Amino acid sequence: MYATANMLLMTPEAHAAEQPQEQAVEVVLVRSVLDGDRDCFARLYDLYAPLVHGILLARVPRAEVDDLVQDIFLHAYKKLHTLRDSAAFGPWIAMIARNRAVDFHRRSRETVEINDDLRGSEAHDSRATEILELIRSLPEAYRETLVLRLVEGMTGPEIAARTGLTAASVRVNLHRGMKLLREKLGFMEGL
Amino acid sequence: MKDDYLWDKSGQPDPEIQKLEEILGTLRYQPRPLELPVSRRRSYLPLLAIAASLLLALLAGGIWLRTRNQTAPQPREAKVISTPSPIEEKKPEPKIIEKPVAPQEVIAVNNKHRHKSVATALSKREREEALLAKQQLMMALRLTTEKLSLVHRKTPNTTPANQIKNQHRVG
Repeated sequence: MYATANMLLMTPEAHAAEQPQEQAVEVVLVRSVLDGDRDCFARLYDLYAPLVHGILLARVPRAEVDDLVQDIFLHAYKKLHTLRDSAAFGPWIAMIARNRAVDFHRRSRETVEINDDLRGSEAHDSRATEILELIRSLPEAYRETLVLRLVEGMTGPEIAARTGLTAASVRVNLHRGMKLLREKLGFMEGL
Repeated sequence: MKDDYLWDKSGQPDPEIQKLEEILGTLRYQPRPLELPVSRRRSYLPLLAIAASLLLALLAGGIWLRTRNQTAPQPREAKVISTPSPIEEKKPEPKIIEKPVAPQEVIAVNNKHRHKSVATALSKREREEALLAKQQLMMALRLTTEKLSLVHRKTPNTTPANQIKNQHRVG
């Protein structure tokens, strides 16, 4: 009870305490990249690649994810000068990743054969792919947060800080998503 | 407690979530080096080269115009030009050259093509001399052209290309 209350109480403050530090790093890195320091973009890539990977994994076939991550970061590198608020790099690249996933599905509708092949390549994967498919069948609001938490290993505050979502939203998505996933898994039968 | 673990991995671990983390962790992002394009900054060298050449061309044009204006034929230089050429000595055509031209007409013609300031700067006698010199020069040029065309007509090996070349030179 205390822990739950503490958790609820600490959310905004702790989140607010963690965010400025991370955002300060983002701001410095983005400005350095804009000044021509390529190494700083590599650092941004290291920081945000798991986020982009998770967002894509919740939406597109696994075989496509790695290439799309590279494409998204290259696109971000070219378009970084259009980012008005340097502190909003996370939400910005998350939005690029979501849009790219939508584009992918729009294109794959036109090429049904490729889509079928990709499904086939995933079919031989282990139990992880089955659970991932279950997560993908959840409402969109929950699947991204769950993938970032369970696959990428990010904590709730990290997800909130990097996606730009509020801590409260992330918390709700995590709990409701987890509840739905448990139902689908039949309370972890056979795990 | 279990909610704590789901939220920030603190508190008592939830075995179900741990199991899910373990299984799904195999799909986790594997670091891959990012290959950035060679140069992000646009090369301004071609633009700089174009700008420099344009500037150079403008400068050269300006210098040329200035020197041209400075070396433009002054009224007194007409006297130098009007010195009889060897062609004129051989074939003097005094009647044409010395044909008296009414000074009023000359001035009128002059005023059509020249600025008033230049026309008024010359004295009447200087104008007459200048006109005579000009006529002599034109006559000499006409004679030369005729002679050249005569030579070309008589020469059998002359190609049309050469004719055009010569005409261009004469004209």
